[in-house]
Amino acid sequence: MTSAFIEIRDIKKQYGPITAVKDVTLDIRKGEFMTFLGPSGSGKSTTLYMLAGFEYPTAGDIRLNGRTLLDTPSHKRNIGMVFQRYTLFPHLTVGENVAFPLRIRRLPKADVERKVREALRLVRLEGFEDRKPALMSGGQQQRVALARALVYDPPVLLMDEPLSALDKKLREEIQFEIRRIHQETGVTILYVTHDQEEALRLSDRIAVFSQGKIDQIGSGQTLYAEPATRFVAGFIGDSNFIDTDVVSVEGSHATLALPGGRTVSGVPLHSAGPGKTAALLLRPERIDLKVGEAGAADALSGTIRDITFLGNNTDVLVDIPAGKQLSVRLPFGHPMLDGLRPALPVALSFNPATVHAFQG
Amino acid sequence: MLLDFDRLGPWKWVLITITTLVCLFLLLPIVFIAALSFGSSQWLIFPPPGWTTRWYGELFADPRWLQSAFTSLKIAAIVTVLSVGIGFLAALSLNRGSFAGREVLRALFLTPMILPVVVLAVALYAFFLRIGLNGTTLGFIIAHLLIALPFSIISIGSALEGFDKSIEDAAILCGASPWEARLRVTVPAISHGLFGAAVFSFLASWDEVVLAIFMASPTLQTLPVKIWATLRQDLTPVIAAASTLLILFTMLLMIIAALVRRGSKQGTKP
Repeated sequence: MTSAFIEIRDIKKQYGPITAVKDVTLDIRKGEFMTFLGPSGSGKSTTLYMLAGFEYPTAGDIRLNGRTLLDTPSHKRNIGMVFQRYTLFPHLTVGENVAFPLRIRRLPKADVERKVREALRLVRLEGFEDRKPALMSGGQQQRVALARALVYDPPVLLMDEPLSALDKKLREEIQFEIRRIHQETGVTILYVTHDQEEALRLSDRIAVFSQGKIDQIGSGQTLYAEPATRFVAGFIGDSNFIDTDVVSVEGSHATLALPGGRTVSGVPLHSAGPGKTAALLLRPERIDLKVGEAGAADALSGTIRDITFLGNNTDVLVDIPAGKQLSVRLPFGHPMLDGLRPALPVALSFNPATVHAFQG
Repeated sequence: MLLDFDRLGPWKWVLITITTLVCLFLLLPIVFIAALSFGSSQWLIFPPPGWTTRWYGELFADPRWLQSAFTSLKIAAIVTVLSVGIGFLAALSLNRGSFAGREVLRALFLTPMILPVVVLAVALYAFFLRIGLNGTTLGFIIAHLLIALPFSIISIGSALEGFDKSIEDAAILCGASPWEARLRVTVPAISHGLFGAAVFSFLASWDEVVLAIFMASPTLQTLPVKIWATLRQDLTPVIAAASTLLILFTMLLMIIAALVRRGSKQGTKP
């Protein structure tokens, strides 16, 4: 890709015998909102810290605008960053905090004042210039940190789980603000989070990290509809996995034997190994449920174990053969809901072309 | 709370009595010295038969007393600066570094606090004798720096402990070089720890007597040494006057330290 703004090439980070990041390669376009999503210890933060320059890769290269960043120390990289913890300078006021990067750069006083005002307006904190950080809420502090990271117009903004210390409602409010600021400024954002909902809400593209490498890169929709690995399938969205036997493989599709003996063919198969079994991913909202015994066209038979009303959805837990359970989701007002009772026999079916199986 | 003062009943009075006695035990010697310094008897008689400020007059009239006070002040000031500076660097590396033997080094830095001062004094005396530092200002400074440094390292170390390194990292990404970030962000943020280190270092040198006796020469004496030497020659109330001023000065420093600490707390907490 020639239009890449940031190129991460085969970077690796080794701490003694432990490999924290293995061969991560990634291209990021100018103005893109890219999220590193993964559980803790998956290497996403380490990768971000290598971009910031606080960690140095054991191997590989990171290029910005075609030039390597690795021989530039952190303070000369001209990158903005918002941290997980509150990092406002406690002895300075909000205004002085935002002015700090400009004073370091020895900008004329008038420019400093104008830019600080603009940055505080961007995060909707006009009039807070003289406040001390300790007197502000967590959400306000992170917005000041955002203003401080953007005031010097960095080409790249790094965000390391900036909202993880905030409560859910405030988090959603600031997610919305971050989206707006991204649209207004056009800055390229690399965002680290372990919260899939946050990643889906904010990002243009998401890189899913697992055990030090990237499993898949794509838009939220792609990751949800076309997960490349079992890990991605399980991490993004709700999912059922059922163990199946691989009967035969036809190119990239397979015929699978389901619990209870029926087979389905034409299932997209992602092979991670030569195993004779595959985990079949069934999204709870994409399973069709019918009351009664399974007919020839149905895939699985089962009995209802439990019904949970969740507001906009109702979760139906179904016992299927081989002692497994499957969760099926029906939207509020679904005509079938009234007839469902625990212990009722049901038949389940799904479109084989829209599900995925992971061999290995 | 388990021990609620209001619910102690008659035990309240026992507690009050014990507290009073402990306070008296701690304060009476100071009051006693202060009273003697204003007493008219030249034999340090208590209670004083009359009152006078004569001893203070004699104290200020004697250039040797002023000289020793100035020596004390000069040594304590230099020791304070060095102790805070070196203490900051040492605490920084003990707090942030991940080198082998870090804990051993930390313990080593703190040994002057545990080692009997007289042992340290004899060792230093023997060593300085060989390199000719006894009776010099430099000798005094090195000796006092040894006992002041642990206070600095503890005080600055605990301040650094409570300071999130991410804040320094944020300053670096804002464009400040690592040392610029430390000076412009870390140092102001831990200023209460630095100030505490300064006060304790100053006092460690200012009222230190054992090392000073070993380091002193007839021409180079600190105030505590002068008091000690005078005490052995003749028992004059001038000593009481000097001691009272010494105590007053120390108290003043402690009060300033307490005020600064309260001020910095108000600055960081709503």
